[in-house]
Amino acid sequence: MSTHFDPTKHISSSAAYPEVSFHHHDTDDAAFKKKVRKTTILLSVITIIELAIGLAIYTIHKGENPNALLVLMFKGAVCILTLAKAYYIVSVFMHLGDEIRNMIMTIVVPLMLFIWFIIAFVADGNSYKNLRNKYDKHFQESTMPADHHKKAEEPKPADAGGKQ
Amino acid sequence: MATTANVHQTKWWSGGKSPFNMEYGKLMMWYFLMSDAFTFGAFLISYGSIRFSQNFWPDPNVVFNAFPGAGHANLPLAFVSVMTFILIISSVTMVLAVHAGHKGDKQAVVKWLAWTIVGGLAFLSCQAWEWHHLITGEHATLIDGQIKMVGQTTTVNPWGDLASASAVADALKNTSHETLVQLVSSHDHSVSHEQLAGMSQEKLISMVNAADLHIRENGPVAFGGYFYGITGFHGFHVFSGVVINIIMLIMTQKDVFQKRGHYLMIEKAGLYWHFVDLVWVFVFLCFYLI
Amino acid sequence: MSEALSVHPEIVTTHDVHHDEHGGGHHKETFISKYIFSMDHKTIGKQFLITGIIWAIVGGLFSVLFRLQLGYPGQSFPILETFFGHWAKGGQIQPEFYYALVTMHGTVLVFFVLTAGLSGTFANILIPLQIGARDMASPMLNMLSYWFFFLASVIMMSSLFIQTGPASGGWTIYPPLSALGQASDGSKLGMDLWLVSMAMFIVSSLLGGLNYISTILNMRTKGMSMTRMPLTIWAMFFTAVLGVLSFPVLLSGAILLLFDRNLGTSFFLSDIVVNGEVLPNEGGSAILFQHLFWFLGHPEVYIILLPAMGMVSEIMSVNSRKPIFGYMAMLGSLFAIAILAFLVWAHHMFVTGLNPFLGSIFVLLTLLIAVPSAIKVFNWLTTLWRGNIRFTPAMLFAIGFVSLFISGGLTGIFLGNSTIDIHLHDTMFVVAHFHIVMGVASFFGMFAGVYHWFPKMFGRYLNNTLGYIHFWVTMVGAYLIFWPMHYEGLAGMPRRYLDKSGWVSFNQFGDLDKMITVVSIIVFAVQLMFVFNFFYSIFKGRKVTTQNPWGANTLEWTTPIRPGHGNWVGEIPEVHRWPYDYGKDGRDFIPQTEPIGANESKH
Ligand code: HEM
Ligand SMILES: [Cu+2]
Repeated sequence: MSTHFDPTKHISSSAAYPEVSFHHHDTDDAAFKKKVRKTTILLSVITIIELAIGLAIYTIHKGENPNALLVLMFKGAVCILTLAKAYYIVSVFMHLGDEIRNMIMTIVVPLMLFIWFIIAFVADGNSYKNLRNKYDKHFQESTMPADHHKKAEEPKPADAGGKQ
Repeated sequence: MATTANVHQTKWWSGGKSPFNMEYGKLMMWYFLMSDAFTFGAFLISYGSIRFSQNFWPDPNVVFNAFPGAGHANLPLAFVSVMTFILIISSVTMVLAVHAGHKGDKQAVVKWLAWTIVGGLAFLSCQAWEWHHLITGEHATLIDGQIKMVGQTTTVNPWGDLASASAVADALKNTSHETLVQLVSSHDHSVSHEQLAGMSQEKLISMVNAADLHIRENGPVAFGGYFYGITGFHGFHVFSGVVINIIMLIMTQKDVFQKRGHYLMIEKAGLYWHFVDLVWVFVFLCFYLI
Repeated sequence: MSEALSVHPEIVTTHDVHHDEHGGGHHKETFISKYIFSMDHKTIGKQFLITGIIWAIVGGLFSVLFRLQLGYPGQSFPILETFFGHWAKGGQIQPEFYYALVTMHGTVLVFFVLTAGLSGTFANILIPLQIGARDMASPMLNMLSYWFFFLASVIMMSSLFIQTGPASGGWTIYPPLSALGQASDGSKLGMDLWLVSMAMFIVSSLLGGLNYISTILNMRTKGMSMTRMPLTIWAMFFTAVLGVLSFPVLLSGAILLLFDRNLGTSFFLSDIVVNGEVLPNEGGSAILFQHLFWFLGHPEVYIILLPAMGMVSEIMSVNSRKPIFGYMAMLGSLFAIAILAFLVWAHHMFVTGLNPFLGSIFVLLTLLIAVPSAIKVFNWLTTLWRGNIRFTPAMLFAIGFVSLFISGGLTGIFLGNSTIDIHLHDTMFVVAHFHIVMGVASFFGMFAGVYHWFPKMFGRYLNNTLGYIHFWVTMVGAYLIFWPMHYEGLAGMPRRYLDKSGWVSFNQFGDLDKMITVVSIIVFAVQLMFVFNFFYSIFKGRKVTTQNPWGANTLEWTTPIRPGHGNWVGEIPEVHRWPYDYGKDGRDFIPQTEPIGANESKH
């Protein structure tokens, strides 16, 4: 690679782009430091809240009559908090927030695919469970948690032994 | 195709320049991370799909309740919060390294990169401990009508539903002598192991109270596969991130970037590192919180 | 290949030829850096093409072999035993051999030929040339992309020669069959090699795709706005996007499958008895694998088709001497197809026990694809309409592509309705559908591309007469082979079965199957003739003497006849117009480099 055309030098280096003005959004040192500090604190606080919710779920589960709806709401809250965390990491730490709008779009828009990806996979998993509970009694009896267990068992005590 | 755009505006898309004002390497890194997000996404969504196909799933607070050096104390989520904070902090130090790179401040780059590497290694050590603890842990579990001491592996899960006292009482009769010894000694420290070993099966059974053993049935096997599979894949990313950062550190030390006139490589390494943190946020959510 | 001279004395580029020191010209390269570990996108493209051709011969040969079994079940061909030993004991294709052949045929043609061989070739060759760049954004990663493909090829090829044979569970490698070594010979080592090879393949495809995307976004020459790009480039762009977002999902599935095979996990396994042995695996879901596979699998079929669509659009416009009809509609439909491609994967799973309500949403989304597909067909036909058509071999293949796409697209609508699919799933109807719409159509796009850009690649023409023979035999042959399969499928004849002669109801198709087999042998022979034409013409073909032999507008024809690394001698030309100004204002064609005239009409 001596005298011949060297693409890595002549084409690809950023030097080939005088047009790319490597704008540094954070040239103001103090402002930048402040932003980072703020984000760090924010991330930590969110994480602590998440942990608190996690422990709350734990205590609910330990209690006598776990409130399924409450647990679900807590879980939903954690999911939202996680998305908030993801937003701050991507937008501040990865500086996506400082990029040109179109660039942000090329990252954010394809992520929308996850919506249908998640819904379809989870819905089909759920449907698989229902099918198995309906047609595979052994599966149902060996995996259903105790309190549901009793309800399921009552009508047909004969089946209690399972197939094995 | 007459272009009617305002002449005074920068025509980002008209060719001859990057429409995003971004050099190609960074662009490629972004899109690579995008595709990697789909790899992780596929793993996590598969996990979700399987979880929704099960009637029961272990409560993470029950599974992850150990802390190094704390013995059998019940400290749900304590250790994983340490791990999470380590990653967040290492992400912050990486931001500072990238920032120092923008200013061309070599010494600061070296300092913050080094801290990031330390953070990464610390995280990996934590993960190693956690895996080790889970795999080698011995949990009395009711499996196929007898009680066995098992750890969390890819083929067994000790964290099913709590077994009823009557089931446990039945199971004790089928349980091996050795396991009974272990069961008794973990509750009753007044008798030595040797003494217990010399006792008969019946004697041992009479020493335990089935009601306060809190023995669980075995849980969904898929738990282990996904947990080790996904945290392992994440750990592999952390590991490669550490390697990349070490390479960056060496290159910085050797003035490679100084000579090049910019520290853009550090920026790309930084993107990768933050991505690893980002993935952890979701792993944390899926395995430890919900 | 002779020492390619980058600059011919008689060539005048459209631009002031000042030889700056890093122009395309005189440089010393070693054989290794020029032809083996080359970083020149054109050479890498040719590497992909030639590797693809080799794979196509292998994969095509496999189909001839299993067609022998399907056309002449029970008959002995002693020569097979000579070549394949116990795989064809007594001159008869053994069941394991048959399944290995079918599986490898699918794998090789879908991934190694029509993905790597097609978009690997033409994205590499055309992107920098048509957008006006000296090379890919990262020539280094581009080179690695080829070499990962090579590695994948070596691994896959080696799996053909191991004792237990290659993977044999179908190209879709569904577990549990593919997850359990004890289930069949083809699920042993061959399956592991398949998975590892595909992992390498995915790395290759990601390296390539990321490069194509960032090159197209970042490296366009001055004036080459996105809507001035030829449709080829748009097609390659969407192809790359599809690959970058969907291949990782297959990677995840492959990794989980490897774990199930080797580490005793139960991601895809549950409640299984093999040979009387009850397996301990519990809790996994085999359907989950199908979801993961088809999340890639469906985008994959468009990864295969879109490059062909792009090249057909370009070639059709050039050879009709007319602007492409509805450029923005073409672009919009490409975009719509790319998005929909991600949303419809479970239409391959209607009969797996997929929730019927979920299935109905997939039906809806699937049928939506018909809309952009129809737009494209309409635009191709109107581009041809009253055109000044030049029937070059490339143009014939382009027209053939449209015919095949219509035929195959229509049967897709049958299959997309879940109620009809219950009857048609896993029958020969599906085989007919996807071979016509994907297999043959994409091959036609690829052939069109090779005939059209061969002069750019090698500075010589392919032999025209052989080209015409190639086209007509392949066109007629493809319909003779695949059209009757629709009838077989509608009658319920299953696909992938070794021997269907046991069913009285299928006996009526015995002669038809013989005919199909005979025609496939003829068509295969004609492809070999094309391969001969290809290699012969590289060295002995008629030389190209003008810079722009087809009178085309796009930038690749402004480079020297045999461009060196860096493509243009001197400055990269600036672009002033879209690429489809054919037959405008009384002029046959106006290259993209020509500034808009003072009183030029709008198109
Ligand atoms: C209107 C457009 C289309 C519709 C509605 C459609 C629908 C379908 C459906 C429902 C199936 C599943 C059949 C079954 O297994 O029972 C199928 C199979 C298939 N389609 Fe299409 N399709 C369309 C166009 C295409 C195109 C353009 C391609 C490729 C470029 C393609 C490639 C395939 C392949 C490869 C398979 C079979 C894979 C296998 O099972 O081995 N289809 N199509
Ligand atoms: Cu499909």
